[in-house]
Amino acid sequence: MQKFKPTAIVLALSTVLLGCQDKGPQKEKVTIDKNPYPSTYQPHSSGSTLITNATVLTGTGELLEDTDVLLKDGKISQVGKDLSAQADVTIDAQGKWVTPGIIDVHSHLGAYPSPSVESHADGNEITKPNTAQVWVEHSVWPQDPGFNRAREGGITTLQILPGSANLFGGRSVTLKNVPSPTMQGMKFPDAPYGLKMACGENPKRVYGGKGVAPYTRMGNMAGYRAAWAEAAEYKNAWEQYDAAYAAGLNPDAPKRDIRLDTLRGVLDGEILIHNHCYKAEEMAMMIDLSKEFNYHSGTFHHGIEAYKVADLLAENGNCAALWPDWWGFKMEAYDMVPENVAIVDAVKNSCAVVHSDSDTTIQRLNHEAAKIMNTANQAGFSLKEQDAIKWITYNAAKSLGIEEKTGSVKQGKQADIVIWDRNPFSVYSKAETVYIDGAKVYDRFDEKYQAVSDFMLGQR
Amino acid sequence: MNKFKISLLTSALLASSAAFAQVTAITNAKVHTLTDAGTLEGATVVIENGTITAINPASVKADVTIDAQGRVLTPGFIGSMNQLGLVEVSAVAGSRDAGDDKAGVDFDASPAFNPRSSLIPYGRKGGITQNVVVPHGGKSIFEGLAFVVDLSGEFNSVLKTRTALMVDMDASGSGSRAMKYKTLTEKLEGQQQKLSEKSKKDDKKAAKKPSQEELILTAVLKGEMPVVVEVERASDILEVLKVKEQFGLNLVLWGVNDAVLVKEEIAKANVPVVISAVSNLPTSFSSLHADLTNAGELERAGVKVLLSGFAFEGAHNLYQLRFDAGIAVAHGMSYEGALKAVSSNIADVFDLDGGKIASGQRADLVLWSADPFEFTTTLDKLWINGEEVSTESRHDKLRDRYTTDSDMPRAYTK
Repeated sequence: MQKFKPTAIVLALSTVLLGCQDKGPQKEKVTIDKNPYPSTYQPHSSGSTLITNATVLTGTGELLEDTDVLLKDGKISQVGKDLSAQADVTIDAQGKWVTPGIIDVHSHLGAYPSPSVESHADGNEITKPNTAQVWVEHSVWPQDPGFNRAREGGITTLQILPGSANLFGGRSVTLKNVPSPTMQGMKFPDAPYGLKMACGENPKRVYGGKGVAPYTRMGNMAGYRAAWAEAAEYKNAWEQYDAAYAAGLNPDAPKRDIRLDTLRGVLDGEILIHNHCYKAEEMAMMIDLSKEFNYHSGTFHHGIEAYKVADLLAENGNCAALWPDWWGFKMEAYDMVPENVAIVDAVKNSCAVVHSDSDTTIQRLNHEAAKIMNTANQAGFSLKEQDAIKWITYNAAKSLGIEEKTGSVKQGKQADIVIWDRNPFSVYSKAETVYIDGAKVYDRFDEKYQAVSDFMLGQR
Repeated sequence: MNKFKISLLTSALLASSAAFAQVTAITNAKVHTLTDAGTLEGATVVIENGTITAINPASVKADVTIDAQGRVLTPGFIGSMNQLGLVEVSAVAGSRDAGDDKAGVDFDASPAFNPRSSLIPYGRKGGITQNVVVPHGGKSIFEGLAFVVDLSGEFNSVLKTRTALMVDMDASGSGSRAMKYKTLTEKLEGQQQKLSEKSKKDDKKAAKKPSQEELILTAVLKGEMPVVVEVERASDILEVLKVKEQFGLNLVLWGVNDAVLVKEEIAKANVPVVISAVSNLPTSFSSLHADLTNAGELERAGVKVLLSGFAFEGAHNLYQLRFDAGIAVAHGMSYEGALKAVSSNIADVFDLDGGKIASGQRADLVLWSADPFEFTTTLDKLWINGEEVSTESRHDKLRDRYTTDSDMPRAYTK
């Protein structure tokens, strides 16, 4: 990988910086708080729960029959046959299936909530092609009834993204799907931030329509390159400052820029790219762009043409977050194949993810995966439930940088678990019980565990 | 123009000449007739010249016999309330023909229908054989006229035009919904007035040729043409039922996420509803009662329920309709009711030939490996008007191109 080479401008800037410093007593060090809106999420109080005799899909490629799962202290404590453990609650899951909590890497819940009235359109800062300074967490309305509907479909974790009007749309946030009056109360502790980027038709349509750049796809690329060049200089200026200060000098801190803070976070490897990018040739160019500026190009979302460059994505370590079947709403969505996810998944070291981008299909990501599995099998693939579940659990967690914490049924992981009434890849399947960190957050048969948003309270 | 009449004529001619008549028998099938005959196990269905000619005949003399081996035979499913064949790529203006600012009562989009649209073979993958296409309309509450097509992909696939008048009575972004009622009732009263005046006037004046709009409104007032009203809120549904009562309309309600609140009134008025099975979010203040259980609840109240797709399942993913029906069953609709909701109920409401398996019916049939609502089930054979039709679409060709090993660049794999 090509290291960043300081440009002439950066060198000039450094010289200016060094010129400003005096040798007097050091002023207080200027540091940037990288977590000014920290998570206040606390797992709901939970006893221990023993689920017995279930068919367990681990999320990492295994199907375990007649298996018990013990949830204790918010963690998956044991997985195995005929566990001798005692628990506060024991659930006979004979005939039922257990999966990791379902993860949607692409949601706009809270930012485009229901009801979808004008006052609620908070997902797309359509004012400049680069709005890396906006953080979608500042738009999330935790009372969106869609969160509850998604939980009823087994969604335990979801990434909220800003929209795709801009080259850089802003920061994403990863949430635990728990009811809370505040965004911070839902925020997934220590999950990395994401940066939403968008290729192709959206930015050029939104800004080209106004007669400003970008007007074309080449204008899109020019916009990304200019931004990363600026971010590299910003990063360098802060590093110069930190180094000079550490050397006992008294430099002036660079001027704070919230927009560049986000881009710098990507260059520092702290913020993950989530790139709305449909077409094969554009995904390839975005990979080259990331190499030009020395960052990782992350996850491609909506990659309708990912199947055309499946090898390239795997080689470069990109996840591809895809639909089973959306297509035809614009030219970049015309070359859909329903086997897209399966083709991407078939390549070694790949990371195929099924995402929703919808307040409706987020309620049935298991069905979305089922469609792909069955269509692909009819086309000659031989996929099983234990393969397909990865697309909405482990691989999704990997895309969000939280696979060490959630996304599989494995000892020591957070107890984010769904019990399904039958094979979750049946059209008739329903989630019966949903746990987040071992706490029951939804029960199909017990109203006590059926959350109602403030908005819906008293409405019907 | 009216292909259906021509095909009846053609089949009559063909029937007179045994040489042209190829008889196909599908034997040993589980047949969902969706008629009073119910579901038949191990049944035989005979088709000839585009028509179902016999079910379980005493003896069969067929040119082609297909042993279904216990698999499931259903009528072809029927899509509705979408812009199939009128929109190829939603974001490409030049491929959109479903609406026009000037669209009104007499807007008939059927001449713009493209039977070669890439959406049509893809729709066949879901066992869809016919579709009720509706225009988007324009600035008026009158969006134009629905028409019916089959999914054969042939140039003569428009089966029926002027199938229903589409009216949008849902809340709009500006103005008052009250103005919509004023517009609707004034239009209907105006035509009523003309008709009564006409009956009194002398022959010379009465002979004046009525406009297309007048002809349509007359058909509506006589109850000959269904009026599909898009509406959501319960109070609006009741208001529309009053309009039906006042003018004797043949009313169909569409959308109606709040219908469960007034289900008794809808059932009593004998008004069918078209809903999406998967709509369950309060997308507006008019649809706070959207729920997955609504299809079943309306069915139990005695309302005739028709299912249509939702958002991206609209025209591009018509194939999804069978899964929506499965979701309706998972949340309380009867299995038979869900089958009817995607076939015979649509045929009944829009007076189509199809949607049932019975002697004399058009032979739109689907042979499924098992339960048609389930993901694991494959569509094994599809007949439209008696002809077996392929379900291959360009999506399959693209998949094959990128999954077939070749020494040559992909572009040479066809």
